Amino acid sequence: MSEIYQQLSTIIIAGEDEKAPGLVQKALDQGLAPLEILDNGLLVGMNEVSARFAQEEMFVPEVLLAAKAMHDGLEVLRPHLVAAGAKPIGKIVLGTVKGDIHDIGKNLVGMMCEGAGFEVINLGFDVDPEKFVEAVKKNRPDIVGMSAMLTTTMIAMGYTIKALQEAGLRDTVKVMIGGSPVDAEIAERIGADGYAYNSPTAVELAKRLVGAA
Amino acid sequence: MQVHKTNYQVNETPAFQVLTENQIEAIYYAALRVLYETGVRVYDKQGVEVAHSAGAIIEETNEDSSLIKIPHWAVEKALVTVPSKVAFAGFDRKHRMELYKNQIYFGGGSDTPFTLDPSTGKRRRTTYQDVKNIARLAQALPNLDFHMSLGITQDTAVSTYDRWQYLAMVEGTSKPINVTAVDAEGLGDILEMAHILVGGKEEWIKGPCFSIYIEPVSPLSHTREVVQKLLFAADNDIPCVYTPCPLAGATAPCTLAGLLVQALAESLFGIVVSQTRKPGAQIIIGGLMSNMDMKTANYTYGSPEMALMSAGYTDITKWLRVPMYETAGCSDSKIFDEQSVMEATINISTAALIGGNLIHDVGYLDSGLTSSMEQMVAADEIIDMVKRILRGIPVNDDTMALGVLESVGPGGHFLEHEHTFNRFKSEIWQPKLIDRHDWEGWTSAGSKRYGERVKERVQEILATETEPLFDEATHKELRRVCELADERHRGEELDIKMFG
Repeated sequence: MSEIYQQLSTIIIAGEDEKAPGLVQKALDQGLAPLEILDNGLLVGMNEVSARFAQEEMFVPEVLLAAKAMHDGLEVLRPHLVAAGAKPIGKIVLGTVKGDIHDIGKNLVGMMCEGAGFEVINLGFDVDPEKFVEAVKKNRPDIVGMSAMLTTTMIAMGYTIKALQEAGLRDTVKVMIGGSPVDAEIAERIGADGYAYNSPTAVELAKRLVGAA
Repeated sequence: MQVHKTNYQVNETPAFQVLTENQIEAIYYAALRVLYETGVRVYDKQGVEVAHSAGAIIEETNEDSSLIKIPHWAVEKALVTVPSKVAFAGFDRKHRMELYKNQIYFGGGSDTPFTLDPSTGKRRRTTYQDVKNIARLAQALPNLDFHMSLGITQDTAVSTYDRWQYLAMVEGTSKPINVTAVDAEGLGDILEMAHILVGGKEEWIKGPCFSIYIEPVSPLSHTREVVQKLLFAADNDIPCVYTPCPLAGATAPCTLAGLLVQALAESLFGIVVSQTRKPGAQIIIGGLMSNMDMKTANYTYGSPEMALMSAGYTDITKWLRVPMYETAGCSDSKIFDEQSVMEATINISTAALIGGNLIHDVGYLDSGLTSSMEQMVAADEIIDMVKRILRGIPVNDDTMALGVLESVGPGGHFLEHEHTFNRFKSEIWQPKLIDRHDWEGWTSAGSKRYGERVKERVQEILATETEPLFDEATHKELRRVCELADERHRGEELDIKMFG
């Protein structure tokens, strides 16, 4: 039985996304508990990927393929997790702010957070404050994540926080921000709850914000 | 005169080439296929209309953008009118640039959020005063031909920073400037300021004193502000730099040739729109072509691929006969140090040898996030050194010096020969900060590392009083444009203070 957990974590680390759904299905067919498939298989692999990436032993394309394998495996597993009453460790609404269409960094964060067990609702780019507010109302996330690549659009993160306040939603979510021109000082000034400078630290921050770290 | 020589060829400068004509053509025709088969996404209705009038096919229109497919003949039509030369001059009319095939000019980079404080060495957000000081430094460094801010003025309003930043730059330098602007309105205000500086619109048309930096988003996306600025520049005779920043492996194919194909398709869109809007509009293409560091996901400015792709792209622009926006003098090091100088030396040499025209980013560190005055001063000396190499080895009767060799003969010396006396200053390059003392000379001068000598030179330049570049009345007029812009945008500022 532990052999299939081992196989699951191995295919995640190797980024063999095409094998993930089949292997998850095989584990389910063997009657293994969905939560155990997640905890003892997929997440073991993904945690190893995070550790290796943090130590610069793995490269970004390898991490992304691992995250893709994780994502594809979860697609099969998720209905069973829901049926078993298991919940994701948190829900994140993510977007690049208004006026900015740079979204590769934000997508990287989204995939890594998904890999770490979050449910991620990716709103895309050029997301205006009203759209963030709507998405929060609709999805009731734990975290709102915003990205900006330009100094001129950085200010839109401040507008979005203001819009969340005006809609009475600010206290229902934690806000995390990132992007080239952003730093911890900016996060503090605009009233965000946290700043991360790259995708692995974003995952750590998200975990801390939902009390899962 | 008796002639006895034939088929004799001369290299007036060293020659360097990355791509052959066949390789360039392969990349060009591939880019044409991308423009027609894959298309580019345009987030501006006016831009879509202009492209359509040029012959482009409009597909997949949604509320904010359209997919534009441009046939090859529309591109080639635009290439007929695109000028092979872009010329501009600083507002003092003394610093001129003629950008065309193999002409090289060096200058700073655009808006870094941070700078290294010249006194403390600490990294901090850039202010108006920093931008002015950096411009003063650029004014003093002889190998910097044009200027870019090397810092965003962040103690001014965010939505009108561009006007203040321009004012800060022209307070410090009268060299030509490559500006950034928030949008077409900001560009209009900067143009108004430039008209004040050069004495009106007619004077501007005779010689623009700035170009506008416009950056489409890779892969193959052209935002509203980008297209609006491009159209405004064409309408108002502003030379524009249409410069994508594709990142191999992330926002462009990982293979260098694939990146060049994409970057060319991105710039050709800019050429089609500008030439359709106004045939003959001055445009410079090129950009920052580099790779993502796959360990950190950071943009690399010091990689060998950056230097190589920029050089390869320069070969393409020479073939197209469109001026090139090259990149050099920059590094990924966080501070001015051995790495920053090493990387700058490699990319400055490569850019100079290939002959990219408007060579920017001198003084850039930290993946483009931090600027350094010390890096500027060191780069000035690196450029000086490379320019000596570019002067090559003239070979003629005088330089081969047969008569001198005959007169000195075996065992003699050349130190007191008139031939040496008359030529050593032009033949042999003189360093400024590089040290060539013997050990005793170096220790008696304080045993200083190169970096310490550079730092002292920065301090020295900053401490030198300079005459204002224009009178108080002009300054007041320029300020007025900035203040009016602030008035118009007052409501947009957050009540949260973003900086300082």
